[in-house]
Amino acid sequence: MLTISNLSKSFPGVKALSGMQLDVRAGEIHALVGENGAGKSTLTKIIAGVYQPDEGQIEYDGEITHWPSPGAAKAAGVHVIYQEFVLFPHMTVAENIFIGNERRGLLGMVDHGQTRKDAAELLHRLGVEIDPDKRVVELSVADQQMVEIAKAMVHKVRLLILDEPTAVISGHEVELLFQRLQALRADGVAIIYISHRLEEIFEICDRVTVLKDGQFVASRAIADVTRDQLVALMVGRDMSELFPPKATAASGAVVLQAKGVSAAGRVRNASLTLRAGEVTALAGMVGAGRTELALAIFGGLPMTAGSVEIGGKSHSQMSPALSIREGIGLLTEDRKGQGLAMLLDVAANITAADLQTVSRNGFLDRARENEIAREEIASYQIACRGPQNPVVTMSGGNQQKVLVSRWARTCRRVLILDEPTRGVDVGAKAEIYRIMRELAAKGIAVLMISSELPEVVGMADRVVVMREGTISGELTGADITEEQIVRLATQSLAA
Amino acid sequence: MSQAVETNLSAAASGAENARNFLRQYALHIALVVLIILSALISPSFLSGGNVSNMLLQAAPLGIVVIGQAFVILVRGLDLSVASVMATAAVAATSFNGQDTDALLIFVVAIGIGLITGLVNGLLVAKRNVSPFLATLATMIVLQGMRSAWTQGAPSGNVPPFYRILGSDSIYGVPYNLVITGVLAVFFSVLLAKTTFGRKVYITGGNPVTARLLGINADWITITCYVISGGLAALAGLILSGFVGIVDNWVGRGFEIDSIVAAVMGGVALSGGRGTIAGGLVGAAILVVVFNSVLQIGMPIQMQIIIKGLVIVIAAAFYVRRAA
Repeated sequence: MLTISNLSKSFPGVKALSGMQLDVRAGEIHALVGENGAGKSTLTKIIAGVYQPDEGQIEYDGEITHWPSPGAAKAAGVHVIYQEFVLFPHMTVAENIFIGNERRGLLGMVDHGQTRKDAAELLHRLGVEIDPDKRVVELSVADQQMVEIAKAMVHKVRLLILDEPTAVISGHEVELLFQRLQALRADGVAIIYISHRLEEIFEICDRVTVLKDGQFVASRAIADVTRDQLVALMVGRDMSELFPPKATAASGAVVLQAKGVSAAGRVRNASLTLRAGEVTALAGMVGAGRTELALAIFGGLPMTAGSVEIGGKSHSQMSPALSIREGIGLLTEDRKGQGLAMLLDVAANITAADLQTVSRNGFLDRARENEIAREEIASYQIACRGPQNPVVTMSGGNQQKVLVSRWARTCRRVLILDEPTRGVDVGAKAEIYRIMRELAAKGIAVLMISSELPEVVGMADRVVVMREGTISGELTGADITEEQIVRLATQSLAA
Repeated sequence: MSQAVETNLSAAASGAENARNFLRQYALHIALVVLIILSALISPSFLSGGNVSNMLLQAAPLGIVVIGQAFVILVRGLDLSVASVMATAAVAATSFNGQDTDALLIFVVAIGIGLITGLVNGLLVAKRNVSPFLATLATMIVLQGMRSAWTQGAPSGNVPPFYRILGSDSIYGVPYNLVITGVLAVFFSVLLAKTTFGRKVYITGGNPVTARLLGINADWITITCYVISGGLAALAGLILSGFVGIVDNWVGRGFEIDSIVAAVMGGVALSGGRGTIAGGLVGAAILVVVFNSVLQIGMPIQMQIIIKGLVIVIAAAFYVRRAA
């Protein structure tokens, strides 16, 4: 249905794609995988008519075409659902579905009744229970995603492209999404599915195309390829090399103890013990309260009950300043929103949690700061123009390294990392795993929040599982398996 | 390895890109120089001693207000109350017996009004989450009303000679008020660029959520910025009243817009976290030169207003392009 051959695209100074090929058939779900920067988004944008290729041809429905604009691609039935939804939060579901395509009535005025009726029918066909009169802002993220899919159906979608659709939803919602995608596939829609999560690709996709450094690597039927082979194609190395060896010594002294912590209505009576030299994973579904528990321990959210014991003292309330003084670091999940000051440079971001070291009597010592920044840039191999490079111009993986370096410098006892490898490529992932293990070896208690089970199994010495705001179990040693974690994360409380 | 990465990147950045970076960084300074040359060419009297010192005298109060405004904008704010604070400080200057014996008292009262206004603005914004626009608009109006009530319509007293000298006399050809502006500019530039307080201002403005998670008292930082703005506006009001000599209820009218325009034109990002005092001052200098040349060329004063509007449009367009 879509055949791309010999496609090239350059941007000033970068060759984003060269000799790219892709062959997508009607009625299949086709995975597009590759590390960050492999060219997935550029390829997607060319298919969507956002960019024009420099060379090569696109064959769609047996005809050689090119789409001069996103509108032209849309008219041909190509629809992209980006990671960040294009919805108007304060308009209703129905209005959003028909945006730019309003149902018109008398005198060309928008016919709200018809809009609502058609929207309801579309949602019904999609098999979801969403009130078309609700404002989008009131919907869950998963429902917003369904609205995006409904929007695609208005345009008689024939080729649907989803960019990391499961990055924002979890568990049951993922299953629902997969059911909808399978229904669309049965209707003969071709689907291009971009994801970092390999387990999903094996669950739902029919074929996979691997990209690396802007070039085509391979296309395979999913049935003909194993997970390790796929990773090897993506990175050119073995999956098992990703994780450094686990701790061999007996676990060290207790460093931090959270006792009966409740917070934000999302965490109830949660207790947690962190030991020196250990990597503890906090697993569970998105929304189970893991991030809130971490924030409460760090002092970013008020505790409504319970206490945190660190440095021989018990605190009924933490604060970020206290945590930093006690040697706790928190690498937040949302790099841009809660971690970096995007407009400031690398040096300022690295030293932000530790201004004392780079100042005297309140005056900054820029020379010392730059020296520290240069050391960190070298030791973490952060690709940038130097200490004065604003972080906003850097790639996600390098921004993450800036944050890791910030906290690795200041945490003396505990480092909490919330989804530290989300949205970073496999190479940077391996790097971050190595750093976590190094810190643990230095006697720091590492707490890693992660939704990726292979990561949890590969990294953790101990796994604490949360479910609906409470701790539902703890696993160590050989008990740490994906099955056990899923069981603890999903079992009903009564069981 | 990282060494290689770094050199590769800097090699790519050489040549044309360096030139472009230079232009981007100094676009404003170049614009100022070009403006001055153009004005001098069109109107020979532009560079005359009298006109230059007149411009410098005018630039000083605006410069002082811009310093404060820059702090507020850096923490994602906006201070619309500065002009009202200026007028209120000026009214305070005439509210005593017009003798130098009251100079200190006037100073304390006027600056006090400015600091308190800033404190109220800061508390509203930081602690009550009121939008800066509304908070400072409200204090602006309250001050206006209090001023009118106090003066019963129009102020009648005199500005003590001390402030007149400060506002309009020179020492070795350099106006006193420009000296004050220079000292303040250096002091606050150092505060912003070289102290941990300044760094915290940038972090708070750049990302308030991050600031809190770093243990920075972001509320306190924000409040301090508004207090600085209020205090500096009051000082500018005193100096301007000395320059004008006669005080009405509207001394400093238009300074809120002018100071914001100057700061933004000078590269202080409205989205917070980026910009310098020096940049804001260059922005202020451009405004003063533009306004002055309009008069020098012999255009009617109404043209100033039209041109001010155009400058805002250009500055806004320029700012958007920079942010992209």
